[in-house]
Amino acid sequence: MVFDLRRCIGCNACVVACKQENSLPDGVFFTRTLSQEYGVFPNVNRVYIPTLCNHCEDAPCQKVCPSGATYTRDDGIVMVDGEKCIGCNSCAVACPYDQRSVMTKESFEDGLYADGNLTPFEEQGYTRFTPGTVTKCDFCSERVDAGLDPACVATCPTDARIFGDLDDPQSKARQLIDERGGKPPLPEKNTKPKVFYVS
Amino acid sequence: MSSQEPIQNSLKPGKWIRSTCKMCLHSCGSMIHVTDAGIINKIEGDPTNPSNNGKLCPKGNSAIMRHYDPNRFTQPLKRTNPEKGPGIDPKWEPISWDEAFDLTARELKKSIDEDPRKLLPSIEDFQKFNIWNWPLAFGNQNSFQSGGTMCGGAYHPVNGIVHSAFAVANDVKHCNYWINDGTGDGFSSHLHAAAQSNWVAKARIDRGMRCVTIEPRLSTSAAKSEEWIPIRPATDRHFALSLCHVMVKEGLCDYAFLRKDTNAPYLVGADGYFVRNAEDKIYVWDSVDEEAKLWDDPGIKKIALEGIYEVNGNECKPAFQRFVDILDDCSPEETEKVTTVPAETTWRIAREFAEAATIGATIDIEGRTLPLRPAGYNYYRGAQGHKHGFQTNHAFKMVNFMVGNIDTPGGLMGVTLDDQWVDRSHVEPGENGMMLPQPHQLGPLPPFAFPPTTHHLLNYFPVGLHPPHLNLEVFLNREKYGVDFVPDVMVICHSNPLWAIQGPRHKWLEFMRSMRFIVVSDIIPTETTLWADVILPSHDALESWNMTMIEPPHTEGMCLRQPATEPLHNTKSEEEIFYELSERMGILEGYNAVINIVSGFEHKPELMLELDKKYTDKEIARRKGLLWNDKDIDWYAERGHAVTERRTDKWYRPWEGMRLHFYIEDMVKERDQLKANMEEADVPFRNDWCWDDYQPLPTAVLDPVHEEPAEYDLYGIFYKDIQLNFGESLSNPWIKDIVYRDPVHIALILNPKTAAAQGLEQRDIVKVESPNGFLFGRIGTSEGMHPDTLGVSNALSRTKTSHKGVAHAGGHFNDLLPYDLKNTDAVTGQPETVCKVKLTKLDDWPEGLKDGKSVYDLVDKLQETGGGGVH
Repeated sequence: MVFDLRRCIGCNACVVACKQENSLPDGVFFTRTLSQEYGVFPNVNRVYIPTLCNHCEDAPCQKVCPSGATYTRDDGIVMVDGEKCIGCNSCAVACPYDQRSVMTKESFEDGLYADGNLTPFEEQGYTRFTPGTVTKCDFCSERVDAGLDPACVATCPTDARIFGDLDDPQSKARQLIDERGGKPPLPEKNTKPKVFYVS
Repeated sequence: MSSQEPIQNSLKPGKWIRSTCKMCLHSCGSMIHVTDAGIINKIEGDPTNPSNNGKLCPKGNSAIMRHYDPNRFTQPLKRTNPEKGPGIDPKWEPISWDEAFDLTARELKKSIDEDPRKLLPSIEDFQKFNIWNWPLAFGNQNSFQSGGTMCGGAYHPVNGIVHSAFAVANDVKHCNYWINDGTGDGFSSHLHAAAQSNWVAKARIDRGMRCVTIEPRLSTSAAKSEEWIPIRPATDRHFALSLCHVMVKEGLCDYAFLRKDTNAPYLVGADGYFVRNAEDKIYVWDSVDEEAKLWDDPGIKKIALEGIYEVNGNECKPAFQRFVDILDDCSPEETEKVTTVPAETTWRIAREFAEAATIGATIDIEGRTLPLRPAGYNYYRGAQGHKHGFQTNHAFKMVNFMVGNIDTPGGLMGVTLDDQWVDRSHVEPGENGMMLPQPHQLGPLPPFAFPPTTHHLLNYFPVGLHPPHLNLEVFLNREKYGVDFVPDVMVICHSNPLWAIQGPRHKWLEFMRSMRFIVVSDIIPTETTLWADVILPSHDALESWNMTMIEPPHTEGMCLRQPATEPLHNTKSEEEIFYELSERMGILEGYNAVINIVSGFEHKPELMLELDKKYTDKEIARRKGLLWNDKDIDWYAERGHAVTERRTDKWYRPWEGMRLHFYIEDMVKERDQLKANMEEADVPFRNDWCWDDYQPLPTAVLDPVHEEPAEYDLYGIFYKDIQLNFGESLSNPWIKDIVYRDPVHIALILNPKTAAAQGLEQRDIVKVESPNGFLFGRIGTSEGMHPDTLGVSNALSRTKTSHKGVAHAGGHFNDLLPYDLKNTDAVTGQPETVCKVKLTKLDDWPEGLKDGKSVYDLVDKLQETGGGGVH
């Protein structure tokens, strides 16, 4: 995945599309768009920064997982098997990017309308989660398997999220990284992220 | 669930239905996924729709939460508690539809039988003009809806005069230099936000289009532009005039365009009227033969734009010269005193803009050789929403006139609202070679009458859009305005006027209390539904039919809305509701006659509704589709839309051979006609009317907001972003989850230096007071705010509703705004939407905001949860 910071307008359509696609409870995000203001008036600007799981090649979360719940698919997507996860939270602590969420029992019980009831949308969606386990972005792996872009990529109004095979020199993602000097997040952590930013 | 079955919603067994988004008033194509169990679990953009290309904004992405909102009205309701007001439980009692219709029709009929003007409508579903125009069925032209003032009260009429179109947008396919003034077009708001963001991003990144944003705050548009020019609020017109000043002084104008395609060379007398002969033909000056000739004289050698001449013994000037005279006082050095924009910046931007416009260049498009002017000055709500709105819009237009980019590849394009049928031209010839000005884009206005026939005085705004705030001015001063009727029933449909119309709340609440009966048709509770006597719950956009085209900025064509599921609740379509009421009120024939006109059915007689019949939402939609392209509903149901890119013959210079209104003589005519009418009718308030507002050319007059008492030492502005576009957003949990984590939407924003000068720090609680009203809030700071300005997000605007998901703020920015004639454009009815404010630091929240349930408590809670985002 490549994020084009020149394109991103911080609209958060990606965030809501992800909530829709993945039935996320209130306050749980597989992707976020942050904003950061810099400079002093009138020479000031704001940058919008999309974030999600970086699907690191040397994933710290996977290394610390005691149950083997976190694993990496052949195509490089880092997954969490909810049935194996014991909810120890080690991965969430180990992730330098703060990209893992513990699914608390309350997050499912309160419901999106915080009235103790679930909407039919939530009822059909929450069955994928096991309360007490940890979860995160999996690049919409089922959509990827079906030949589709992740939900956040598909909806992005400005095409600021570019998904593709980084090993394929013909992929748009790889070309963008090469042409515009893509940078991984927090390179000093040596996690070898599979997410790059171009600006 | 077995591990073999998909867990992602879009892949679960089910079907996709093509439809049209309704989370704002525009019409992006959508695809709705319904599971085999009948649950709507994913909505995506329709990639076959060339408007939004498969994209949706965050609001479009959150429509499911509107559908399944547990606060929805689920059946007709009747109030049992006669006491009304914020926080007072109406004690709803379920009733049958028959009872609800009978009761409502009886109460409405009682009033309109006495006087049709006694009904106040706020019917605001902009995708359904067949509903919007229902009051015309009994000759009622009142309006209590916010559609004019908070939208483009002056913008739309001026677009109608200059482009014969409803809206405008820069031509994204060719523009290389895009100025946004007080608008988020292409970044965060206005026309088809997701669609336009997509197109503008392509232009920015793929073609290197340069963007410049003029605004008091660092908006999304400003942040993404190559340059942000901070400006003092309500001074954008002065900036625009100074750009014109530079272009005129440096000869950077498209003189060929001004001579040939506009009325700029038409001679204007000292009285402001064009100089005409006995046959009403207008003169121009031939600078070679040094004599006046009629505008269409084939013997004209060179048409003069500048100079002072004498025709038939009277001194006159070309219209262009009159504008040059105005510009003499608008140098960047002079306007800097008003705008705070450094003069050197203005000089540079004007030169860059004119250079980017490539005056003289041409482009071949589909067999036509057209001027190529790839620079456009685009603008909207923030820049146009001022007391002198007409002149302000005209000034922005003038920047574009200077470089000859009107409706021209790369320039500022007229965007039609709804073409109705595919071959319909929106342009007609007018008098003396000019295009017919069509300021009334939403239909004709009521003629002059005294006593007024409308409660918001629409009879006196010759090129107006509804000024709903004047309902309050009239309510408080009925005798002064000679209003000889007292509205006592309200019909509210998909509208929240108590939230959306400016003026202090406590006075509006008195207005609401004066109503004998209020009926509301809506989906969810709002500030206004709390006042209803009867609730007529309607289907949402995932349960109903519609066909619409709503001002797409580079595409055209009808978009179908079709139900993805059966209605969840005991609700009805708006069509059924208004037909049932019409039948019971005895106005069915009138209503069908209105729909035949406003939906264009009269254009194809076979589509005309029979006057004594009731029609479904599906049937109305079907006929609109047939009107567009002769395709039946099944064709649309499969495809979802008939959208194509704008046809270039209708899009580029559709007025070829006609002259555009650089000089708007109608301002002088309308002023004099209205004056004469008022004199003749002995209208008592005629001397209070702002006659100076009627200017055929924009001037550098200051808006009265700049002359408020000195104790109000800051300007107050109000803003939205894409998550809050247009109407209802903040009842939606997904929108709340993103908006209330965004630093620009969770506090009243001051520049840090301004905060320090005011003795304020972040999180200080303040009372904000304007000459009109007050609100409470919490201070935040941003370097991205003009030091003269307090910025208030729309996310901090809600007051008490019975929707449990809406967190109330400490008052609404609209409370701070004026509702009087002094602050209303006497041409269009556009009120001032900027105010002057003063801040007082408080030790604690006032009563009512201490209960831990205000929006600021929600913000604090969200800040503590939902991490995830280190980069």
